[in-house]
Amino acid sequence: MARDTEDLEAIRLDLRAQVDQLADERQQYLEFFERSPEAYLVTEADGTICAANGAAVDILQRRKHHLRGKPFAALIALERRREFRRRLRALLARAVDAQGSWRTIIESPELRTEVTLTGRPIDRAGTVSGICWRLEALT
Amino acid sequence: MNSGNSPEWLLTTVSAVRDLMIKRLEAESLDGDAKREMEMALEELDVMWEELQGQAALLVREKERYAEFFEYAPDAYLITDAGGSIREANQAALEFLNAPRDAVVGHSLSQYVAPEDRVNFLARAVWRTRLQPREREALAAEFSVRAIPLKKSGVAGLCWLMRPIKD
Repeated sequence: MARDTEDLEAIRLDLRAQVDQLADERQQYLEFFERSPEAYLVTEADGTICAANGAAVDILQRRKHHLRGKPFAALIALERRREFRRRLRALLARAVDAQGSWRTIIESPELRTEVTLTGRPIDRAGTVSGICWRLEALT
Repeated sequence: MNSGNSPEWLLTTVSAVRDLMIKRLEAESLDGDAKREMEMALEELDVMWEELQGQAALLVREKERYAEFFEYAPDAYLITDAGGSIREANQAALEFLNAPRDAVVGHSLSQYVAPEDRVNFLARAVWRTRLQPREREALAAEFSVRAIPLKKSGVAGLCWLMRPIKD
């Protein structure tokens, strides 16, 4: 019985150590993302927002938890959405000119902000699984 | 950037201990108290395993998501240790330096600064210098840097953002 208890404790400690290591690695990347002075946003391939860092939240003027799951296109001024979708399709197709930056307008209930938007596809096993975006406010 | 933490061997060990415990439970030699203790230990093992598997799966997903962001960020990033040795480089950085990962990671950052700029490079908080990509002409670039903990070792490292300076 004592032997079983020892085995159980050893397994528990091994598992704990692995989970702790994973947590440390996650924390490093999380800090890199969250504490970046650059404004970054990550979307799924269809443009749905999955993460926005603090600097991006400042530009988008919305609460972070309201951003997650929202289509990025919904934050773009109505008259610029067609262009946004065209650029998104080009990024998904990895078109040669798709990785350049372009100017667009972010619209929140309170204000309109002109930004430069740069997107880069996230490659997962050869397919585009999402887009990393950088936002630079021009005002 | 790989997860490299598959707990498969642990799953095998847990399963082996579990099987052993079940066999002992079935043995006629166990008295009532020992049997109850064994049943409780078995229950504890199952619950512990499920909980840790759940935590690990969540952490793996989150780590991969943020690691993917680092790898495919629209900006070129390098992470170095305090001595300037490059520990990680993302895709944009490899393109910027025109070099494969194994020619960047483990090498000194100053190796990619134009030789005549190397002395001045280490003396500034925002660096404007000439970057020396492999097999290409040097080009003007701006570096900005912030502290970031290095994973596993936990010591301080530096996260470098590199951007070309446009005319």
